[in-house]
Amino acid sequence: MATTTAPVPSLDERRAALERAEARVALQRRVFRAVVALVALGLIAFPALRGTFSAFNYVIQVLIVMLMFTAMASSWNIMGGFAGYISLGHNVFMVIGAYVSGMLLVYQGISPFVSVFLGVALAVAVGTLFGLITLRTRGPAFIIASISLLLMTRLMMDNWKAIEGASGLSLPIPDFFPTLGKVPMYYGMLAAALGAVGLAYGISRSKFGLALRAIAMDEVKAEAAGIDTRRYKIIALALSAIFIAWAGTFWGYTLNYIRPSAFLSVAIAADMALMSIVGGKGTVAGPPIGAFLIILVTELSVWLFGPSELNLAISGTILITVLLFFPLGIVGTLQNRQRDRLARLRAAVEDSGEAVMKGA
Amino acid sequence: MQWVQILILGLMLGGVYAVMASGLTLIFGVMRIVNLAHATFILLAAYLTFFLYEFLDVDPILSLAVTVPVMFLVGIAVYLLLFPRIENSPRFVESTVLLTFGVALFMEGTMGRTFTGTYRLVRPTYGTESFLIGDLYIPKGQLYALIVSAVLLLLLAALLYGTRIGGSIRATMQNRTAAQIVGVNVRRTMALSFGLGIALAGASGTLLSFLFPFFPASHWEWVPIMLALVVLGGLGSLQGALIGALGLSVVAAFVMTELGPTWQPMTFFLALFLILLVRPQGLYGKPLEA
Repeated sequence: MATTTAPVPSLDERRAALERAEARVALQRRVFRAVVALVALGLIAFPALRGTFSAFNYVIQVLIVMLMFTAMASSWNIMGGFAGYISLGHNVFMVIGAYVSGMLLVYQGISPFVSVFLGVALAVAVGTLFGLITLRTRGPAFIIASISLLLMTRLMMDNWKAIEGASGLSLPIPDFFPTLGKVPMYYGMLAAALGAVGLAYGISRSKFGLALRAIAMDEVKAEAAGIDTRRYKIIALALSAIFIAWAGTFWGYTLNYIRPSAFLSVAIAADMALMSIVGGKGTVAGPPIGAFLIILVTELSVWLFGPSELNLAISGTILITVLLFFPLGIVGTLQNRQRDRLARLRAAVEDSGEAVMKGA
Repeated sequence: MQWVQILILGLMLGGVYAVMASGLTLIFGVMRIVNLAHATFILLAAYLTFFLYEFLDVDPILSLAVTVPVMFLVGIAVYLLLFPRIENSPRFVESTVLLTFGVALFMEGTMGRTFTGTYRLVRPTYGTESFLIGDLYIPKGQLYALIVSAVLLLLLAALLYGTRIGGSIRATMQNRTAAQIVGVNVRRTMALSFGLGIALAGASGTLLSFLFPFFPASHWEWVPIMLALVVLGGLGSLQGALIGALGLSVVAAFVMTELGPTWQPMTFFLALFLILLVRPQGLYGKPLEA
């Protein structure tokens, strides 16, 4: 027991401290919202800078990748974060979007901006089907089942003659916006990112989101409380497919080719999980922040050491470090600190001094 | 006669599969760690064998004397570095999947950087020769690997059932708290078991180094195979791992001859997927719960 001789602050002082802390949290929220709005506007306006500086093509490429992973990690987070079902096979939906749009572009000349909706619809249907089958498992069994699903899909697509197997297809350079370079793909990907973050935000504020969190905390109790867990999980999986398929469409279009290895790699599956976990699983802001940071680190390492397997080692190190030291991720850890602080100050006001005596 | 030949080839690989799977299932049984990085340790030992053979001309089977102890120490170091810290995390098993996934990425990246992505294969003379008995041909490399595997599994059984340490390991597998109450040093037992599991991975890596070509990313070929073997047998069950290994390796050998080598991995993916759906506890194990 540490004996403190500091005088106990009076009730008024404690009230004032609480009010100051609450005002600061409110201000932080306002600043955060303003930053989000500015970033969104900046991203919408960015292509206007085309031709004004020489690195434009590089920057827009990096932004496309960041937006793609924002869309994918945010969608992954619906299942992996909100519902607590970690999947290492979600890029199956990405390949569906890429192939539906890619095939329609090659054989029918249909614009990806139209066919993206078909890809999404098919991905949602497949997601529902996968949900019906795999959501009998939970925890580690679900993770392993999702990896085996990814590997099975890869093996089948690599050997599927009708879609050109492992060698895939080159996509024609689209002729509808011949002079715009990567700008159309950029807007396609931006729509995926905004849509996915918006969807996650909507879910986090809804009764549906609350049910998913209950499932993540304790599925048996959630079931006992009358939540139809199976239905909710399947819906969550289907929703998480939407913007991953969407991102897949525009990623194929950005690459100008589609082939199974470009979408169905374990590395991409890992990145979705990694970004969500680093940013904060189960939070809305976490996955975008994680996606931004991980892509930044990747680009830096490519710039410093050249493209190499080192990226993989860095991803692994980041994942290990976060799991060991900040299992809640960046946003989760900050939110927790803020919540604890406010709770302590509130308790200090309400418990008429007891909590303060305990050393709060 | 042909099916006898296929059966023999399948069973011979089954021995090596059993050594791989026994390490993985031991680690799960004692600590409830699902080690997704197991195959990267197999590859590390394969590289060690490769360099011992290339530079010092050490026969791959003799190099077991180096790879097994080295990998044992590596295992203990990895355990102490990573796992005590998450011991009390609420979803322990799930955390271990993610954590070992991180280890696998780290190992793959580091090995890719150091050893390059070139395909490697240790080529001792017996790697390409075979015995001919009647109509049946028996590849020498696979036969020797089977014999070594059998010896290793017998040694493992002797260790687990004939020594005090083995008793502690089995007690910890059955009930950790009870083991602690009767005086088992659980922390030390767990570190030893992890070391033992990785040492078994090392042994199978040495054997694989002259049976299959390997490169840093090829551990992803082995992860689903191993998981299928142990999930079929029941995670944490050693006899289950043995039966799973022999059973699936024979099935895979038949799939390979009937449908061709392309579809052979599908045996394991599909087996893994279906077992998890239908009977997640496998033949002998405990169900996989968070």
